[in-house]
Amino acid sequence: MIKFIARRLLLLIPLLFVISVLIFVILRLGENDPAMSYLRLSQIPATDEALALAREELGLNRPLVVQYSDWAWKVLHLDFGRSYVTGAPVSDRLLFYLPNTLYLGTVSLGIVLVLSFPLGILSALKKDRWPDHLTRAIAFAGVSTPSFWLGFLLVYVFAVKLKWLPPMGMGGPRHVIMPAFTLAFMSLCINMRLIRSSMLEQMNTRSVLYARSRGVKEKWITGYHVLKNSMIPVVTAMGMHIGEMLGGAVVVEIIFAWPGVGRYAVSAIYNRDFPVMQCFILMMTLLFVLCNLAVDILYAWLDPRIRYGTGAEQ
Amino acid sequence: MKLYRHPLSVLCLCLAISLFTLSPQAFAESGTLVYSWSSNVGPLNPHAYSPNQMFAQAMVYEPLVRYGMGGKILPCLAESWETTPDRREYTFHLRKGVQFSDGTPFDAEAVKKNHDTLIANAKSHNWLELARQIQETVVLDEHTVKVVLKESYYPFLQDLALIRPFRYLSPSAFPESGNTKEGIKAAIGTGPWVLTQTRLGQDDTFERNDRYWGPRPDLAKIIVKVLPDPNTRAMAFETGEIDLIYGDGQISLDTFNRFRNNPAYTTRMSQPLASRCIVLNSGRGPTRELAVRKAIQHAVNKEALIRGVFLNTEIKADTLYASNTPYCDLNLPPYEYSLSKAKKLLDLAGWKTTDKASVRTRDGKELTMDLCFIGNNAVMKSISEVFQADLQKIGIRVVLKGEETDSYYKRQHQGEFDLIFNDSWGPPYDPHSFMSSWRAPSHADYQAQSGLPMKKQIDEAIGEVLVSRDEFKRQALYREILGTLHAQAVYLPISYTTGLMVHRADVSEMAYGATKYEIPFETIVQKQRSY
Repeated sequence: MIKFIARRLLLLIPLLFVISVLIFVILRLGENDPAMSYLRLSQIPATDEALALAREELGLNRPLVVQYSDWAWKVLHLDFGRSYVTGAPVSDRLLFYLPNTLYLGTVSLGIVLVLSFPLGILSALKKDRWPDHLTRAIAFAGVSTPSFWLGFLLVYVFAVKLKWLPPMGMGGPRHVIMPAFTLAFMSLCINMRLIRSSMLEQMNTRSVLYARSRGVKEKWITGYHVLKNSMIPVVTAMGMHIGEMLGGAVVVEIIFAWPGVGRYAVSAIYNRDFPVMQCFILMMTLLFVLCNLAVDILYAWLDPRIRYGTGAEQ
Repeated sequence: MKLYRHPLSVLCLCLAISLFTLSPQAFAESGTLVYSWSSNVGPLNPHAYSPNQMFAQAMVYEPLVRYGMGGKILPCLAESWETTPDRREYTFHLRKGVQFSDGTPFDAEAVKKNHDTLIANAKSHNWLELARQIQETVVLDEHTVKVVLKESYYPFLQDLALIRPFRYLSPSAFPESGNTKEGIKAAIGTGPWVLTQTRLGQDDTFERNDRYWGPRPDLAKIIVKVLPDPNTRAMAFETGEIDLIYGDGQISLDTFNRFRNNPAYTTRMSQPLASRCIVLNSGRGPTRELAVRKAIQHAVNKEALIRGVFLNTEIKADTLYASNTPYCDLNLPPYEYSLSKAKKLLDLAGWKTTDKASVRTRDGKELTMDLCFIGNNAVMKSISEVFQADLQKIGIRVVLKGEETDSYYKRQHQGEFDLIFNDSWGPPYDPHSFMSSWRAPSHADYQAQSGLPMKKQIDEAIGEVLVSRDEFKRQALYREILGTLHAQAVYLPISYTTGLMVHRADVSEMAYGATKYEIPFETIVQKQRSY
């Protein structure tokens, strides 16, 4: 297991290198001109002279290879450069905003876990009866609802009309409810459906039939054999949901004025703030890969066939 | 059965949590006004640009002279001033007893220290003619300072009134090197407000400057929340999280219209602030022809645009500058909306329609042109679509090119357009600064005018107007320049933009600023809240 983790961690190095080159090049392929954006934000007319000065100040007049190697060398020393817009160190700002996004993501994940399991199990156990129909209808609505629309709808109902919850910002626990639910809703619905179908599949396996014939109690069969075996695809999906949540936080953070990395990254995209975008993408890649690694480890723990490195035939 | 109960209990728990949260909204205390902006206000270095937000710089720092309504120059930190006959030297008599918010006295030395650092970094402020024109600043006595220019420059006082960079930082807040380009120790000015707290991504707090020399503001505190999204801002206003919406683009026009119909809110529109135009490139494509440009002027139904797109929140424009802009009340004859006139002009120019094709042709070539706009700008997109439909009626095919912001500005910069949006800068930059920029090839205006046979004379006249000392001559030059451009139909003025203001009844008084870049919070009088 340790060898497996070490190998996966080592693989991160070439992966991050390739990603870093890709993002550096892709960002500079288009028409994007940070010097022009800087002048626009500063409300300075973009004359040739002003553009040349801005490019010089931002270090954009150097060859691309020099710019990359300079940036990569600094990144190796955990210095992600300074924002073109604010002049502030990028890593400081991202680390300042990251806990807010992680807080939002964690609460969302909590909502997904707390609600999707009971509803998914209920749906499987009551197949083709009204609780199943209801949860399936919710799931259908959930996967079809864009988060920005759901977010505004929640704000309109719970903040504007009912005045139960604050519409935006970060403060006490009440502030996190709507953004976290908005962020969680789609993952919650997908997870719910996945648990349902996975459980239904497990219920029809021969191992369950043999357990029943051995006289094992139905509660134990459902609660242990079926549920545990149903977890494998769910855990895989959870790994992806975490990534989705971090990515989805971008939209939710803007709607709810949540001071997280997503919103910071979006403003960087608008302002062509390359150092911020590069750092954000690298950080998200790292988080995504680490989440998947954690899932793989959990997967191995749940399924002995993977743990022992043997095939399903055995 | 227990499993069945379990999810229900979870749902009950959630419901209970939501009920616990059912508490009245915590409204801000009296004397505090909550406003919102799309980002934090920045470190508020008065001599620097992005990320410092102009409205906030104007709250903390003051100029020697202030830009008033209609372009009138009013005293501010300078009580009075005089100039030599050649207009190369200006002597300012500073207001006595003025202190920076940290108690440091505002005097001639402070003015000189600020000017000197600005001149040392003139390269960064090169866009502003004034930064190039100041030769030196001389301290005559504690409250008198003289500014010597390299040559006469009539908009000297107008440029001094700008929000940046000629505003005054306390000498105690300068960095050790004395160069404010490296940053400042703290945002300390003489203005009515002091920046007391910044919470990244959340808000900035300003408190009343108790040492302010002017009338004491009614409000004690202003909180500026960071709200990047206009829809979020609208909802925050409706829920009482913010008290004021003020400015250009803060909310969508639909939302403003909705608020306008709500008796609980007071909505107001400012005087014309800038001109929204489409420039017709005289150096490229079919718009090289005067007849085509004039036909376009006659073909656009601006009244329908004002009604349908702007929901009557902007004012129809017939000339490049609104008549309230200094030197611009010229009574130029407008191009009336007349499809028959437009068609006649094109017919006479040889652009004919056939029964088969709806697009006019001449020598086998179609009358087609591009209109470039920022793809995700909803207002530009709507105008473009109406414009396309209007021109189709006279047999001109308009190809809409919605692009990314940078690509759009690159087109302006390089002249790669037939038609492109281009707004004026608004007061205090209109008309002189905006006009001065027409001489630089990097501007859409230069590119659009580049095909005019009299372009050289226009540029020379602009150069002359900026240094002219004779008021009558200056007025005549403005008439000549603007009259020529109007006759050459290079600009298609659509509307005069306005600033929108929405507040609740507890804000009983508030004036609109003379420019779109500053918000006169100090004029706000707040009634006792009655929630």
